[in-house]
Amino acid sequence: MKARILNRTDVLKIVDLLRRQGYEVIAPFHGRGRDTFFDTVTDENRDRIQIHLPNPYYPPKRFVLPHIEHLLKAHSSNGGLKIEPIYEQPKRAIFGIRSCDVAGIYHLDRFFLGREFRDIYYENRRRNLLLVNIVCTDPDEDINRECFCMCADTGPASREHFDLQLMDLGDEFMAVAGTSEGEEILTDPMFRKGEESHIQKRTAILNDVRTHFKNTTSWFSATVRYVSQGSILDKTWEIIGDRCLECGGCTYVCPACTCFTVSDRQLGPGEIERVRVWDSCALAGFTRMAGGHNPRRAVHDRRNRRFFRKLASHFIQKELSMACVGCGRCAAVCHGDVGMPSVVEMIRRTTTEIDKHEPK
Amino acid sequence: MAHRLTTCTFCGVGCGLYLETADNRVIGVSPSMSHPANEGKICLRGWHLHEVISTPDRLRIPMIRKDGRLQEATWDEAFNFIAARLKEIREKHGPDSIALLNSPRCSNEEAYLLQKFARTIIKTNNVDHGAGVYSNNSTDVLLDMIGVPATTNSFHELAQSEVIIVSSVDLGKRLPTIAGAVIRARLKGAKLIVTGTRSHRVVKNADIFLQNKPGTDSLLYGAMAKVIVDHGSMNLPFIKKHCRDYDKFIAKVLEYDLLEAAEVCGVRADLIEAAALAYAGARSAAILYSTGLEYGDTDSIKAMVNLCLLSGQLGKEGSGIFALTEHNNLQGCCDMGMLPDRLPGYGSVRDDLIRSQFEKQWKTEIPSRPGVAAKWVLSDRGKGSIHAVWLCRYDPVSTAFFGNAADCLEQCDLVIQQHLFLTETSRYAHVVLPTAMFGEEQVTFTSGERRIQLAKQVIDPPSGIASAWKQIVRIAQAMGADWNYESTADIMDEIGTVAPFYSGANYENLAREYGRQWPCTKDRPLGTPFLFSEGIPRDAFKFIPVERLHEAVVTNKEYPFLLVLGHSLYYWHRNALIRHSETLRREYQAPLLDYPEGFAGIHPDDAKKYGIHDGDRIRLRADSGSTVTLAALNHEIRSGTLFMPFFVKQVEHQILGPLKSGVHLIRVCLEKEEE
Amino acid sequence: MNPSENIYLPKTAIVDRVTDDIADVKTFYWHFEDSEEQKAFKKFRPGQFAQVSLFGVGEFPASLPPSPTEDETFFTIRSVGSCTTALHRLKPGDRFGVRGPYGNGFPMEDYYGKNLVFVAGGIGLIPLRSCIVYALKHRDKYDRIQVFYGSKTPGELMYLPNLREWATFAGVECRLTVDRKPPTEEWEGNVGVVGSLFKIPGTNIPVDNTVAFVCGPPIMFRFVIRDLLALGFQGQNIVSTLERYMKCGVGKCGHCCIGVAYVCTEGPVFTYEQIKKLGEDI
Repeated sequence: MKARILNRTDVLKIVDLLRRQGYEVIAPFHGRGRDTFFDTVTDENRDRIQIHLPNPYYPPKRFVLPHIEHLLKAHSSNGGLKIEPIYEQPKRAIFGIRSCDVAGIYHLDRFFLGREFRDIYYENRRRNLLLVNIVCTDPDEDINRECFCMCADTGPASREHFDLQLMDLGDEFMAVAGTSEGEEILTDPMFRKGEESHIQKRTAILNDVRTHFKNTTSWFSATVRYVSQGSILDKTWEIIGDRCLECGGCTYVCPACTCFTVSDRQLGPGEIERVRVWDSCALAGFTRMAGGHNPRRAVHDRRNRRFFRKLASHFIQKELSMACVGCGRCAAVCHGDVGMPSVVEMIRRTTTEIDKHEPK
Repeated sequence: MAHRLTTCTFCGVGCGLYLETADNRVIGVSPSMSHPANEGKICLRGWHLHEVISTPDRLRIPMIRKDGRLQEATWDEAFNFIAARLKEIREKHGPDSIALLNSPRCSNEEAYLLQKFARTIIKTNNVDHGAGVYSNNSTDVLLDMIGVPATTNSFHELAQSEVIIVSSVDLGKRLPTIAGAVIRARLKGAKLIVTGTRSHRVVKNADIFLQNKPGTDSLLYGAMAKVIVDHGSMNLPFIKKHCRDYDKFIAKVLEYDLLEAAEVCGVRADLIEAAALAYAGARSAAILYSTGLEYGDTDSIKAMVNLCLLSGQLGKEGSGIFALTEHNNLQGCCDMGMLPDRLPGYGSVRDDLIRSQFEKQWKTEIPSRPGVAAKWVLSDRGKGSIHAVWLCRYDPVSTAFFGNAADCLEQCDLVIQQHLFLTETSRYAHVVLPTAMFGEEQVTFTSGERRIQLAKQVIDPPSGIASAWKQIVRIAQAMGADWNYESTADIMDEIGTVAPFYSGANYENLAREYGRQWPCTKDRPLGTPFLFSEGIPRDAFKFIPVERLHEAVVTNKEYPFLLVLGHSLYYWHRNALIRHSETLRREYQAPLLDYPEGFAGIHPDDAKKYGIHDGDRIRLRADSGSTVTLAALNHEIRSGTLFMPFFVKQVEHQILGPLKSGVHLIRVCLEKEEE
Repeated sequence: MNPSENIYLPKTAIVDRVTDDIADVKTFYWHFEDSEEQKAFKKFRPGQFAQVSLFGVGEFPASLPPSPTEDETFFTIRSVGSCTTALHRLKPGDRFGVRGPYGNGFPMEDYYGKNLVFVAGGIGLIPLRSCIVYALKHRDKYDRIQVFYGSKTPGELMYLPNLREWATFAGVECRLTVDRKPPTEEWEGNVGVVGSLFKIPGTNIPVDNTVAFVCGPPIMFRFVIRDLLALGFQGQNIVSTLERYMKCGVGKCGHCCIGVAYVCTEGPVFTYEQIKKLGEDI
């Protein structure tokens, strides 16, 4: 990809440029303490946009798959029934989306726009969504304790699926385009051609960043294999299930989780709205059928299910994308510390402890 | 789009979370990573707050019952109607014929104004919150023994505890954030001891599980005290300096016998011993119990506090007593004096000096005779003497497990209901006032760790709907009171003048970090994370000897099972808020869908002996009555006991018969009911 | 306005008539208000299902018991949850929502020239009815056809008039059974579980060049599979339709996923061989 350079002081001008083009720009901001969140950029908060900060835990998947989304309205009157879809096609740009989350959006693209049907609601939101990826380069600010994008090969710098990627080289930033929309942005005069020295600097920074990850679940690929084969001991899932409090948090914050439920709500006499809301396979009622039969009643069966869906090679092959991007959010929100990194560790331990050696 | 840090409206942990809004709608929710109480974790209920808050199915217009039907009215009509009727009833039947009950979910400001209304305008002490029947004994015992009616330490300190005792509460379902803190503490090396009749998720992570028979908690803790005394492991310096009545306590403890207690409790003596010594020997140890649905009786709480004092586990980080509250503002409602015998700050209504201070502040006389509790109002004893009931966000017909709220309300001349939705209680209401929802008003809640927090206004309420507190003010004005509050911040300022432990908790201070834990005074504006951190006054604490229990309920050959009426998870489905989320409804209603007539939980081994399969009809017979229900096989149930959820009123009344409510442990016999 | 079709949007359907079948079960005859929708819908395959909307209550998946060769479209629904209970309150002329057809359906053309053995329990006959009627409409394409059907009691047998009619076709046998006969009901036939029908002397179940269709409650399914395997059937010649809690019906919401398969798009029809390889218990 063509590498362009811009001054550090010009980086936020990209936000201004996008706003002028009619995008609602979403960018990361500080909350209280170490909290961070993505919010709409306004004239008032524009100068508070952060480049380096802990990745917000509320995942940006909600910009394509909202936490609650209106699907349709149905109105019955005089014996007639009118059903109307509700469409929203916002023009948005996410400035500062991390590489792991870019992989997450890509995974959702594969899921909602691929497989057997295209999801029109997802499509409407994705169509005009511009992704301006910022590479994680600051070990203190950007990398959380739980991050393991290296193990999932999604970071710290995405190789594709973004529109524009920015990387902090010091006084200068490097910018590369991943799509024609990104290339369009690069035509702005604030960008100039890069030199070989910039490429070398980038390589050096990335090499250094890679050594700063606190969570190195190097057993990740082995876990994928064991999960796919279904050869993890039941006992392991029971131990994991014992620590799970069935809160749904892991699935809600996961950039690559897609499950939802649909609910009808009364708006007024004869008028209802149908919404879809994030749902979680962690919950007991997720598979409960009318009549009472529940194929996944036990909590450890549901834990088993989650990790199977996340990692099984069948899905990776079918969707050409893995349902875990190594962002570590599940570990951050888990009450019982059974997020992906811990589970990988537990599988490693129980699997490697089976030693079939005997003295004779 | 906007993100506002606020606190949750469900349970008493007071988790910090962000509400995401756009176009005056709450469109998302996410946990706060930095909030000291939850550190980035919330439970399933919190994750669906946005769905609940955005429910379109809201009451929007006040209603007055005319010709037997609730009909739309204007706000003025409603307020004047209420004021006129209250005056009439007070004239005719006296101030004590009126009771004002609220939900432990009400804000501090609502609770404060409601009790002030009752005391200064109606002139009655008949105020109570709906959870009083669960929590008031904890309030009384703690005030008596340690002088503070609340959790002594902070939730995040559990990470420093060396030993944690969890007493008889299914933390995983009721207070998941605490369950998580406890599990993570264990993973870091803390010793986890769990007591209680039922096994649950946290038990799976426990080092010692003392699955004692129902009703034997006080005996169990008394036996633990005996072990500590026998081993000489008590903290004598602590006791000498800070505790009264030690001798009386010791005399009683020496009557306990470990082996006998083990027999009666149905747990191993060596485990009791191990638990006791671990607790006493720990550098810092915490005891957790609930003041919610799985509350302990007075003796059990006394026994736990005795244990704590005996071991000196107070006044240091990671130690203390955690009187966990299961509602977001149970602590606050108690702090605000929504109690029939206590004023804001817990002073007794009987105390002339305290009363006169309030009379000076409120510029009028207030009654000295203690009022009656919700349990009394909504039971047979209330019938006939209570003529008017004001229900602020409280839905007793759906959620009160005691008495028969429907019967009692039916007999009242005036039932005022302030709520978000029409509920089952509305059938008996004469006037219904729609209120603003969580997130639509700026108020405060006080969590179980004494943390007074701002529950921020993030959206406007639907047009025409006002906050409940504003409605209380309007009605007060309609009754001639000179009340003027511009905002809830004003109310909090006034609270600060009558309740010294809130005196520093003005909104500006509360907005700075993550609320403030009381006591929060002008001298301590940053609040108090753990009590007695600056030293414990001499003789501040008191032991209370507990009579040795011989057996809670004796089973025999005729009635070999102990039936416990209770239940953790399933209470939530009666909750009006839970019903407005598809997922929450599905998760919390599941047992009701599987067993629509209710059920009795039974251990599979017991079921096998009787040839009972899951879903079979079974008959339970007691001295007081009999009932037929479905068997729900569950490994969590203690063998020899049966569990029944007490919201299935019909079944409950059938088995309890004339004993009716209040009893939650009786002996029964069991047989399979043929079709 | 939008390039993609909205897969979640139901279309208005009108109730034509309602018949009471057995306890808690009714059949609703309906058609789409828009005749083009109706025409497109009629191209469904046996074994497919549709998503039925009761606005204000919710949506649920309903098997399509009619064969695409029949004139009327209908659902046969047991009232068991909030949605189905709401459906049961509908009267002729009432409107509700339908979208579909979804699912893979039974590949009836692949079975040309084969013997067909249908084994159904209780309301499991509902989805298989479509196949049976289809097969009878194309009678010359199939060899022997056998229907083994059982319910808990005589009163719970579905589609009795149809069963009687089917038995009149050449080379078609219908054998019925009930688990038990209550004293108040009339019944002269076999008493026992469905599998007991296989053991009746004179019952000759072809195995070679045969497809066995199985549909019924989980326990019945397990035992019938065992019986069929004992008779010599291979996993790939036993086919069934799986039931799961569904919300979207189009492979997105995740509720119906078993192991590697989304039942609503990769099923609900699976061979027993595929079921074994799903990676999770059904």
